[in-house]
Amino acid sequence: MTQVLVATVCPYCGAGCGLYLTVDKEHATGIEFMPEHPASQGALCSKGNAALEILDHPERLTAPLHRNGEEWARISWEEALDRVARGLVDAIKKYGVESVAVLSSSKCSNEENYLVEKLARMLGTANVDNCARLCHAPSVVGLNRTLGAAGMTNPIADIANSKCIFIIGSNLAENHPIISRWIHRAKDAGAVVIVADPRVTHTAWMADILLQLQPGTDVALLNGMANVIIKEGLIDSDYVAQRTRGFEALAESVKEYTPERVSEITGIAAADIIRAARAYAISPASVILYSMGITQHSTGTDNVQAISNLALICGHMGRPGTGVMPLRGQNNVQGACDMGALAEFYPGYRKADDPETIRYFQSAWGVGSMAEAGSTGEDGAGGTGAGNAGNAANAALPLGRGLTATEMIEAAASGRIKAMYIIGEDPANSDPSSKHVREALESLDFLAVQDIFMTATAQMADVVLPAAAWAEKEGSYTNTERRVQWSHKAIQPPGSALSDREIICLLGQRLGLPFDYPDAASVLAEINRVVPQYGGITPDRLTRSRSGLIWPCPNADHPGTPILHSAGFKFAEGRASLVAVPFKPAAEDVSRDYPLILTTGRVAVHHNAGSMTRRSPSLLEREPELYVEINRADAERLNVEDGDMVIVSTPRGQTEARARLTDGVKKGVAFMPFHFPGTNILTAETVDPEARIPEFKVSACNIARRK
Amino acid sequence: MIRVDAGKCLGCLSCSTVCPSQNIVRTETERTRSIHWKRCKEECDLCVELCPAKALALVSFDESVPEPEVCFDLVACKICGSRYATEPMLQRIEALLPEKVQKDASGLAWIRVCPVCRRDIEAERATSQLVLGRSRKSI
Amino acid sequence: MPVYIDISRCIGCRSCEVACKRVHSGHGHVNVHFVGDHASVPIFCHHCEDASCTLVCFSGALHKEGEKTAFDVTRCTGCGLCRLACPFGVVWTDKIAHKCDLCEGRDSPTCVTTCPANALSTDFEEASRRARTRAAIVAAHGGRR
Repeated sequence: MTQVLVATVCPYCGAGCGLYLTVDKEHATGIEFMPEHPASQGALCSKGNAALEILDHPERLTAPLHRNGEEWARISWEEALDRVARGLVDAIKKYGVESVAVLSSSKCSNEENYLVEKLARMLGTANVDNCARLCHAPSVVGLNRTLGAAGMTNPIADIANSKCIFIIGSNLAENHPIISRWIHRAKDAGAVVIVADPRVTHTAWMADILLQLQPGTDVALLNGMANVIIKEGLIDSDYVAQRTRGFEALAESVKEYTPERVSEITGIAAADIIRAARAYAISPASVILYSMGITQHSTGTDNVQAISNLALICGHMGRPGTGVMPLRGQNNVQGACDMGALAEFYPGYRKADDPETIRYFQSAWGVGSMAEAGSTGEDGAGGTGAGNAGNAANAALPLGRGLTATEMIEAAASGRIKAMYIIGEDPANSDPSSKHVREALESLDFLAVQDIFMTATAQMADVVLPAAAWAEKEGSYTNTERRVQWSHKAIQPPGSALSDREIICLLGQRLGLPFDYPDAASVLAEINRVVPQYGGITPDRLTRSRSGLIWPCPNADHPGTPILHSAGFKFAEGRASLVAVPFKPAAEDVSRDYPLILTTGRVAVHHNAGSMTRRSPSLLEREPELYVEINRADAERLNVEDGDMVIVSTPRGQTEARARLTDGVKKGVAFMPFHFPGTNILTAETVDPEARIPEFKVSACNIARRK
Repeated sequence: MIRVDAGKCLGCLSCSTVCPSQNIVRTETERTRSIHWKRCKEECDLCVELCPAKALALVSFDESVPEPEVCFDLVACKICGSRYATEPMLQRIEALLPEKVQKDASGLAWIRVCPVCRRDIEAERATSQLVLGRSRKSI
Repeated sequence: MPVYIDISRCIGCRSCEVACKRVHSGHGHVNVHFVGDHASVPIFCHHCEDASCTLVCFSGALHKEGEKTAFDVTRCTGCGLCRLACPFGVVWTDKIAHKCDLCEGRDSPTCVTTCPANALSTDFEEASRRARTRAAIVAAHGGRR
């Protein structure tokens, strides 16, 4: 038996665990663990263990499809690509470049994301974004503003060096399970764990101090902790004096957030707030881990900034066991952002509204200059087969912020966006207010969707392009630690599905763009040249390593940078910014018709919109249906028993779910996982004004037993 | 063909599993299990040899003898009520295991409890201290 | 020799369940049980010294091999007595008996390697050390921690 082991990176969460696939006669026959992986040490969660189930799945898209009324017709790649190119170009011709939007996938590799944003911008549109908009956009904005870099500051394994681990708005036990091993290691060495969450989650089981706060009151809690720390003289004065700016304004702004006042707002006992604040400040090395519970709010950016404030005033930054850790959800959402598949950033976080950025990329991409082999080594403009679709390569790259993922939907609804190209995303299920999203997408003149399964979004497309899954293509992926790892190709994609890289290149060529990359390595080589943080993360170094490289890694001799900010910050005088953030309540409050607060989240065996995990029998059988957690006292009042089918309604609509009675949520709060279609029918579209992330975590709802 | 001593038959799954020609048909409903031995001309004696109760015997083929069939009520779990075993099988277990292991630390006769509830009880026992400590924190 | 659990580390992710099932062709031997809102623990074969399953197995399929409760599939008739004899409910029958085989033939039991929280181990000394450390703390606090 010629069995081969192929090293890949798990396609699910941002932990980026490595796993080997055993391949025999072109079939992925099994999984072997990777004990040498620095974050997972060979562990693999339930989703990773079930990953093979999506490879041979009967519902995999295997051929390009064109919608003919209610039917789907299988078409050739030629025809499909022509249709997509025409769909985009027609919209540009009729309505201008602003009428086209591209939604990239945070599941796709760095190379693919780089090519997607390059394609969009060379077509002339600034409207390119990825699902980070729905998850860590506030981290990108808030951490860039306060710390000068948007990424986890310390690696996962470093958590073991911490003496106080503050987890707020993250259920990492279920969403990044391998992080638990490092927390336990820290606990064994005496660390205390503080967990702040409206629910008693599996993560809360690890807590020494549990702060069960009301959804949407995180800024109050964080300001309250800062208040205690400043008042009791527990700040790191040297660090504040040398490494930060803005302390006076911050100290002034948190004066009113006394433990008593914060207790009123959050529902947490004042004594617990004080205990948590003291533990965090006094410990020699404290770290803050956070995720959607912090970001998915209309005050998401404020929440993130409040976290930075806490870490900075205590000097818990830039050393082992410290830092601020945004736990990123998707396997490559960090990479998608690094590669500039973002409305406000070009690759490497160069600002889209900075003329310097445009000049740089025009030069790097050979745009707006004569068609000659430029310094990038590409053929100039005009690839192959461009004729029919017209040479759409623009003379200049778009300057200015484009529409974000959430704004794209709005703009589709209002008719401003006419054509969309969506890759590996399912906004019909992932975006808030599903009914509105579907109406918006249906109203487009043209919609192309590229995916591995026929998702709800793909159902609405004019053209569906079948793509390869992680094991069926190669490329680099950046996990939440900023660790870039290479995932090798194990098997061929099914039918005539192609890797996203190949599809984007073929499409680019049809559009007259010089997209001639024979493999992922050649794209990475270009990324090395134009993204300074990835300068030394070469294909050669990556393919030979099981631990990848952590950016910034500016050149080929650089070992990578596991811990950020150890020598100061990328700002003037190396000082981070403390930003005063006043508490603002969530956008939606309870009312007579909607007397409960609905919050959302995830479970261990499912992932995001569930397009992959709900098709994996091992996972679906463990969590087969949508449920709603209801506090027992509330349930009694509502006359609902455990196991009843209930109707959950919000101002946006209603959904059926199975009632699960629990004491894990406080009275007045309910919880639903968002892996099943239905949850996002209910959620609100109000967004954070800066990061434009919707407030998934707070909706006013009512629950009634289904008759 | 098969002759069955219904008084000895446990209602277990052996013979219906080992018969190479699927001549022994086992039918389960929510509350019952019945086993039907069809006429067979096979020369093998697997079912006879592999019956834990020695309830089966091979006799010469006789058209006039009706095909044996035995039916058992499935016993209900003392805790959740789900039906999980035949009475003779449970009695067999009780006969084979030492007296002292048949009641757990809390005096429960666990043999009369289904496997799922047994796991639940074990889970509660194993986590009791832990649950106590954790539930205090969330008050 | 059997797999030891540090229950305080179990995060209820069910990776052990899914992995065990995967490597045993769909017949998993682990079940994670949740206790109220506050804990979870995987239940699996203890490889008991006087294993009840071996006492009722009339064919000798289930038998002790040193510390391990071993299974010889060639002797199994699928009778189902073992399933009823196990006090922990961790023997299943589906044509034959299915129970933890400590992943014979692999370097280490799959559940042990896969557990994200590193809660499972075959190292008795380590498991014992952890359990006693915690028990000492509980005792020192008068059982109140």
